[in-house]
Amino acid sequence: MRLKDQNALVTGGSRGIGRAIAQAFAVEGARVAVVYRGSQEAAEKLVAEINNKGGRAVAFQADVADAAAVEACVQRVEQELGPIHILVNNAGVIEDDLFVRMKPEAWNRVIQTNLGGVFNFCHAVAFGMMQRRAGRIINISSVSAEHVNMGQTNYSASKGAINSFTRALAVELAKRGVTVNAIAPGFIETDMSAAVRNKAGDRIVKFIPMRRIGTPEDIARVAVFLASADSAYITGQVLTVDGGLTLGAVAE
Amino acid sequence: MPTQDEIYSKVSATLVEALNVDEEDIKPTSTLQGDLGAESIDFLDIVFRLEREFGIKIPRGELFPESIFQGDPELVQDGRVTPKGLEELRAKMPFADLTKFEQNPEVGNLSNLFTVDLITRYIQGKLENGSQN
Repeated sequence: MRLKDQNALVTGGSRGIGRAIAQAFAVEGARVAVVYRGSQEAAEKLVAEINNKGGRAVAFQADVADAAAVEACVQRVEQELGPIHILVNNAGVIEDDLFVRMKPEAWNRVIQTNLGGVFNFCHAVAFGMMQRRAGRIINISSVSAEHVNMGQTNYSASKGAINSFTRALAVELAKRGVTVNAIAPGFIETDMSAAVRNKAGDRIVKFIPMRRIGTPEDIARVAVFLASADSAYITGQVLTVDGGLTLGAVAE
Repeated sequence: MPTQDEIYSKVSATLVEALNVDEEDIKPTSTLQGDLGAESIDFLDIVFRLEREFGIKIPRGELFPESIFQGDPELVQDGRVTPKGLEELRAKMPFADLTKFEQNPEVGNLSNLFTVDLITRYIQGKLENGSQN
């Protein structure tokens, strides 16, 4: 059990990659705070599953884009589970549109949720981690930060900013035993990519050397590594987990 | 009212925790940055712990004058503290002895002012003035 007695908080933890991370952490002995915005049923189902298997998880509602709500959420989590050792900023939204058509609201929502959420949660936990001289912050980014697609100026901008933020925060907290890293997933089988995968069908795997779409578990296992003591000397890094997608080799 | 020695002991213990140094490394003349390896992020933690330990409020910039550190051009020019900056220092740090610094007011030397003894005298001043929470 690589995360025994650690308290972890996972945003966007009720579905997709966040869900897999919450489950993987629980299997490794962590107590998990599953933070959701609207998917209460999914969150409670996940929490019940984890608790029934002998783990410990609790669901908390908060919109990551709302700083005050995030502060309050972190306080509730600390009251319920104790100090937060591991923070996974996974909550993310997508609102694709061609740039010239993109409405300011679509831009703002994506930036405020994806990037603002990272700021809000990191801000609420960083000082405590610093004082305890221990912490793991894991930001879920995307290959789209660098390996861009049409219609994703807002999403790519938010993820690129997350990568830079990860490096800058890593420098500030390094001396205090807190590592800050990011995972950049490629194409993963979740609700977020469902529409694209549906439309593209088999064509996507032509671009992936491993010839398969990634699973949320593929990401979760890397998150476990970053959350564990094994990654103690790694900080400020963005780990790309994409089955080789960004190597740029297309099938013959 | 604790004695100066008692305050010094508590300040020392606080620095041991904040900076992860050994008790024997701390002397009244030890400088926070030079001798004890403190960085800007450590100053924040030190202020927080001192507030908690002594039950006082330390307003931002009162113990460690940030505006000087941040290179405000009225207060710092070409790496040297200006006369206006020196005035500001005197006003903000009445508990500090600036005579040596004034002779060569290089910003780099500013950190030599921040000794364990300075913090002790600052705390003593705060407690004497009854600035309890």
